Amino acid sequence: MADKNGFFDLSKTTLTRRTALKGLAAGAGLAVAPGFVRYSQAQSSAPIKIGFQSHRTGIGAAYGRWYEKTTAAAVKAINAAGGINGRQIEVIIEDDGTDPGRGAEVVGKFATQHKTDIVFGTLFSHVVIGSAPAAGENKMPYFVVSEGHHVASTKLNRYVFQPGITDVKSQIQSMAPWIAANAGKKVTQIFPDFAFGYDHRDYLPPALKAQGAEVIAQIAIPPTESSFTKYFPQIPPETEVIYHVMVGPAVLTFVKELGEFYGSNLPQLFGFMDSLEATDINSPGLEFLDGSHFWEGSPRYAQADDSAAQKAYRAAVGIDDNGAAVGDPKDVSTASHMFGCWETLYVVKKAMEDAGYKGPEDRAKLVEATEALTAFAEGPEHPQGPKTFNGKIHQCFGIQNISKVEGGKLKVVHKTKIEDGLYEPEGDYTTQAL
Amino acid sequence: MDSSSSFTPPSEGGAEECFLARVALPCLVAPLALPTPAVAHASDRGHVLLLPTGYYLIGGAFAVAVSFLVLALLPAAALDRFCRRRLPLFTLGDSARTAISLISFAGFAILVAAGLFGSRDPLSNPLPLVIWTLLWAGITLLQGVFGDLWSWLNPWVGPWRLVSRLVGTGDEAPWRLPGWLGCWPAVILFLAFAWFELVDPAPDDPARLACAAGLYWLLTFLAMLAFGYRGWSRSGEFLTIFFSMVARFAPAERDENGWLALCWPAAQLLAAEPLPPGGIAFLLLALSSVSFDGLSKTFFWLGLFGVNPLEFPGRTAVIGSGSLGLVLTFAMLTAVFLLAVWLGQRLAGGGPPLGQAAGLLVWSIVSIALAYHVAHYLTALLVDGQYALASLSDPFALGWNLFGTADLQVEAGIVAGAESAWWLWNIQAGAIILGHVLAVLVAHGFAWRLHPQPGRAALSQFPLTLLMIAYTVFGLWLLATPTVG
Repeated sequence: MADKNGFFDLSKTTLTRRTALKGLAAGAGLAVAPGFVRYSQAQSSAPIKIGFQSHRTGIGAAYGRWYEKTTAAAVKAINAAGGINGRQIEVIIEDDGTDPGRGAEVVGKFATQHKTDIVFGTLFSHVVIGSAPAAGENKMPYFVVSEGHHVASTKLNRYVFQPGITDVKSQIQSMAPWIAANAGKKVTQIFPDFAFGYDHRDYLPPALKAQGAEVIAQIAIPPTESSFTKYFPQIPPETEVIYHVMVGPAVLTFVKELGEFYGSNLPQLFGFMDSLEATDINSPGLEFLDGSHFWEGSPRYAQADDSAAQKAYRAAVGIDDNGAAVGDPKDVSTASHMFGCWETLYVVKKAMEDAGYKGPEDRAKLVEATEALTAFAEGPEHPQGPKTFNGKIHQCFGIQNISKVEGGKLKVVHKTKIEDGLYEPEGDYTTQAL
Repeated sequence: MDSSSSFTPPSEGGAEECFLARVALPCLVAPLALPTPAVAHASDRGHVLLLPTGYYLIGGAFAVAVSFLVLALLPAAALDRFCRRRLPLFTLGDSARTAISLISFAGFAILVAAGLFGSRDPLSNPLPLVIWTLLWAGITLLQGVFGDLWSWLNPWVGPWRLVSRLVGTGDEAPWRLPGWLGCWPAVILFLAFAWFELVDPAPDDPARLACAAGLYWLLTFLAMLAFGYRGWSRSGEFLTIFFSMVARFAPAERDENGWLALCWPAAQLLAAEPLPPGGIAFLLLALSSVSFDGLSKTFFWLGLFGVNPLEFPGRTAVIGSGSLGLVLTFAMLTAVFLLAVWLGQRLAGGGPPLGQAAGLLVWSIVSIALAYHVAHYLTALLVDGQYALASLSDPFALGWNLFGTADLQVEAGIVAGAESAWWLWNIQAGAIILGHVLAVLVAHGFAWRLHPQPGRAALSQFPLTLLMIAYTVFGLWLLATPTVG
């Protein structure tokens, strides 16, 4: 159901978001009941069942809500255009509570109870890591949208893929050329003292060094801290750029105290949008961010040069020009991450079509077909931008955005090249047995 | 309203179960081996952190202290007259009670079926949304405003009347519960309920909740057939006991003859008789469990157990500390409350025994528990309430639109952003402070009953007022401190 420009025209279908996502619920129970022959007699018309491991509750719930919206929009678009191999997609949502323990349980339920074709959609890295063994044991293709480096590290297993969002190691590395050339050569990092911060602590210094810049101080803040002024004297006076990646409820306090500490002499600030996903950039306390720069996966605010694909994607998901829900301007989206759900589903579609996928018995073929993918062109299926895919490490690499806070909005001032984020593979999943 | 027995519910009950068998789940998951970039949301608590909450803590404590001083100077008779004022409205008969309960039971049965066979998504399936949001958060507030609606809505009294008529037993129960049992079964069941809500890894899981709620309904129904509807409602059905206690706060009173009258909020509490030990424990558990709900999410609490709140490892990882905390909060509140009452009796130079004094004074906890309920469930009511309305139109995820709400756009933004945070904080803080001021007032009313001499009555209240002040500050701190999610 594509229009003449090749974009999905959702107005021409009566399929609602609800029917796209809720469909299979009762059928999941019926499918195992004796005498359930509806689809067994007509395999070709049976829906493709996608198990959506969703952060419906727990600390990931704000992301989970937007991952659900994006997934619903993508499924609606794919189904409206004829589905996958002529079969409609049905999504079964199971809440993992943003809990690694439950995450593994949910993957098991998808495999044994719902008998889904794949599992999809996990964001939080500890849930991915907790669930991956269950995916491997059940030989269940597991497509995550996490941005963690765990997939590309090749420490998970052959059934885990991240084809829709660039991993954090690549994201960080690709920031270095712009920071060194435009913001400053002497960088002080402020990060939370746990794994999330350690990625930035470990990956940024070598990347900056390669660009002739250096990290002159690294300040780790305890995760439970809610007042930060006492740490600021540790920032060396010669600092030209403060690279900050604080997360959690105290972020607003952090920015406010940093701004008050420096007054009008604030060095250049560079941050990751992870700090402020789903948070209005114009919130009290964030005034000091004006003029500072952020990494964005996909831009929150509509840009003057947005592609037609980007516009169509935003309209389908239902985000306005400020990146908030259409009709609910205070509900700010998680734009930097959620596009990955949309793009991942199109990768799944492509891989299933390449594999001639018919059902769970073809899961191994689906794994191999996914591994054989090499690139995704920018367009309606990949509105964030072009990507390459490394089948050996199951990870995609795409462009990144650097945006400046200007007049209460985020304006993209630089788009990185895919090559900026490439690194030597750390292993090869394809050597593992299927 | 039934006032024949102090804690006795006028009628009926609700839904839930134990799941104690699952307590044996592993207490801690193994530390994760790989670096884990988790991206914790800045969350709306971030906006509250920028508000001058410290002033509210001081102001709240001051307001409670001042109300104590004002009451100490007020003649007992004036308050008594004030609380006895009623504005009669009309008579409300009992005739529809069975029919309404039967409809409620049918609705409950459909919800349980939806839990088993509907969507697996807890925000699309109506069962978790109705049980946790509309029933537990919503009905509690309605009880506090309109009185004992639950005595009409509960899903047991109708089926019980029907079955007991059919088998010819009528209102006579085959067995009687021993008197010493009191309402301790309800205390145990309420503890199990609180554990399931606050500690169990997946209380929102539709199938899991359907099993728990369905089983609880069935066991309660069997207990009612065995011990009589009133017998089990007084001693075992925790929802009925909880809701009827909360209803005593309401500014609407219905007497034994069905006369409905308006009164002052919390005035009905003052007409209550002393609660037995089980009733005291029940009310303290009601407050301590909702307090622990707040406490368990704070950075402070998680820090005690070495849990990184920015990378919260999920509920399966904190079952041990959660179970401990739930019991510990109850034990500490009980100990401090009894100590305050005992000290008060000592200061007043005697008076009735500790059990009687505590049994009366504990009624003041109702208004605090209600205030905590408002403060803690407000955002869930505003957002999940919308999901509930949408889900009810399509309970089995079959594409129905029974009430025209199936495609309702859920506006999560209603609780998002700095402006909403300001409003929510002020409503929550206002509720906490008002709840404690009313608690001081109720406790004073009882103090005059326990100690007819005004000076002694005021003295007896000094320790309890200190506890109220401390709990006000604690309640406000829970809403102001950094939390997970």
